[in-house]
Amino acid sequence: MLHKAIETLAQFMALLGGVVLSLLVLMVTISISGRELSDLAHSGYLGGIGQRLIDLGVGPILGDFELVEAGVAFAIFAFLPLTQLNGAHAKVDVFSKAMGPRVNSALGTFWSIVMAAIIILITWRLFVGMQDKIRYGETTYLIQFPIWWAYAASLVAAIATCIVSIYCAAMRLTGQRII
Amino acid sequence: MSDLALGYLSFPVLLLLIFLRAPIGLAMLLCGIGGLWLATDGTAVFLARLKSEVYSTFSSYTLSIIPMFLLMGQFATYSGMSRALFKAGEAWLGHRKGGMAMASVGACAGFGAICGSSLATAATMSKVALPELRKYGYSGGFSTATLAAGGTLGILIPPSVILVIYAILTEQNIATLFAAAFIPGILAALGYMLTIAFYVRIYPDQAGTHPRIPYPARFRALGAVWPVLIVFGLVVGGIYQGWFTPTEGAAVGAVGTGVIALFSGALNWPVFRQSITETATGTGMIFFIVLGAGFYNGFLALTQVPQELSAWVTGQGFSPWMVMVLILVFYLILGCLMDSLSMILLTVPIFWPVISGLDFGMTTEELAIWFGIMVLIVVEVGLITPPVGMNLFIINSMDQDTPMTATYKAVLFFVGSDVVRVFILLMFPAITLIFV
Repeated sequence: MLHKAIETLAQFMALLGGVVLSLLVLMVTISISGRELSDLAHSGYLGGIGQRLIDLGVGPILGDFELVEAGVAFAIFAFLPLTQLNGAHAKVDVFSKAMGPRVNSALGTFWSIVMAAIIILITWRLFVGMQDKIRYGETTYLIQFPIWWAYAASLVAAIATCIVSIYCAAMRLTGQRII
Repeated sequence: MSDLALGYLSFPVLLLLIFLRAPIGLAMLLCGIGGLWLATDGTAVFLARLKSEVYSTFSSYTLSIIPMFLLMGQFATYSGMSRALFKAGEAWLGHRKGGMAMASVGACAGFGAICGSSLATAATMSKVALPELRKYGYSGGFSTATLAAGGTLGILIPPSVILVIYAILTEQNIATLFAAAFIPGILAALGYMLTIAFYVRIYPDQAGTHPRIPYPARFRALGAVWPVLIVFGLVVGGIYQGWFTPTEGAAVGAVGTGVIALFSGALNWPVFRQSITETATGTGMIFFIVLGAGFYNGFLALTQVPQELSAWVTGQGFSPWMVMVLILVFYLILGCLMDSLSMILLTVPIFWPVISGLDFGMTTEELAIWFGIMVLIVVEVGLITPPVGMNLFIINSMDQDTPMTATYKAVLFFVGSDVVRVFILLMFPAITLIFV
């Protein structure tokens, strides 16, 4: 029951991040097309069609890279719960055979607790960072949206990561293997 | 304790944590935070850095190329291009002795042009090529070894996730590095094909032949791979020509392979979800390492260890070539133990200052590019070096009736070809620097 809920949470966050990432690549592609088309139109090669394109307002999307930065930050935070739950973090396994199953399992439990602690630390600092951004009213340069919005979205994903990592550590502590 | 001693002490501590099976990113993060804590006598510095650095790492415009390239590779996996590439190779080479294996290598090279990861290339191509190779009488060990080696082309032939990381670490132009990797990548593919020709001469019973295919069918098979050429040309060509930034190129590539997958009819909702899941765990893993490396390298820079080490090596009057060879051997050994990305993130900030302080008779930019390509090749050799190379395990697990030892035996020939190539590129840096 609990496991199902945690799994759904991790997968939902990953999917959300993936949809954001997919929308970003689409947006960037559209923005590039707009930019190149507008360059072409301004160069005069297209004649009357070019002028009509310019009149239509064809061009790059304003502040596209600011959206990429904010969106990708959220997507990566949103990818972390699933990375955590699937145990997808890179490790060196060369010596694990020599250490035997009991030592390995104890080490696995230990690191999952440390990981949860670090994730909580990161989330707390992200929250403090967000408060700074609210206090100073920082906005992005071109489209001027408040940076703390992006922090807040990332914070939601970071909290989901906390929940998943605490769950992983608790499962390991109580001797239930999930991966 | 002085900061410098603290910096040097952090190496064995970090290695210990890693060998005690800490996730590599976590180990680096812990050493970075711990080091900053001790070096600055308090928690204020690292707490302040954590406040902004995590977000700024994840929101870096340059690094955002990585999830996009991963998404591109995932869509490529489902685009049906792996089969088209293999069929094209088979049509032209299949009737020769060992030709099907050569076709696999060629197809891996082609797939590497739309996928930036080595394991993904090896796994995707194996799904298509392994059953075919076995069907036409290729021995299990030879088939798995060919595909494991072919998989390393995925990272060598641009686009390449590892080169992106290297470019960021050494502040080099991503486009130039991609261009520089191209010729060594082609050389690698040709080298593997020669190896195959050599191998089937020694063990003629380990390879069968495919019936000769008439020319019209050959051209049809070749025609089916045009989407690969378009996506590769658009992404790598566009980045190189300066039409768009590397990040924009990666976005175009993801859309491009996504469109191919959509038209091939393979991209439905479950496949999209699967692509997202793979992209998510891959991205999460990479960025956690990048984050840890950022803190660890920040701490090392504070302790001045890289500068001191570089000054020491320069002061000893070692021959630059000897230092280079020693570093490459070190990478080769470490490459057998650790994944390429962690290794690059961990070592380049230390080795690059050392190398850049030595005189190889080139400009710093040329040196950075040449060194980067050499390191990239050597860490990839680690992926197929017995007994621990990661590609070997992935491919071997896909062919149940082939014992690991058979793969080990056959792959040594490919490792040999890699060593020869490393030697050639080391002797003649001009090959790598042709497009620079």
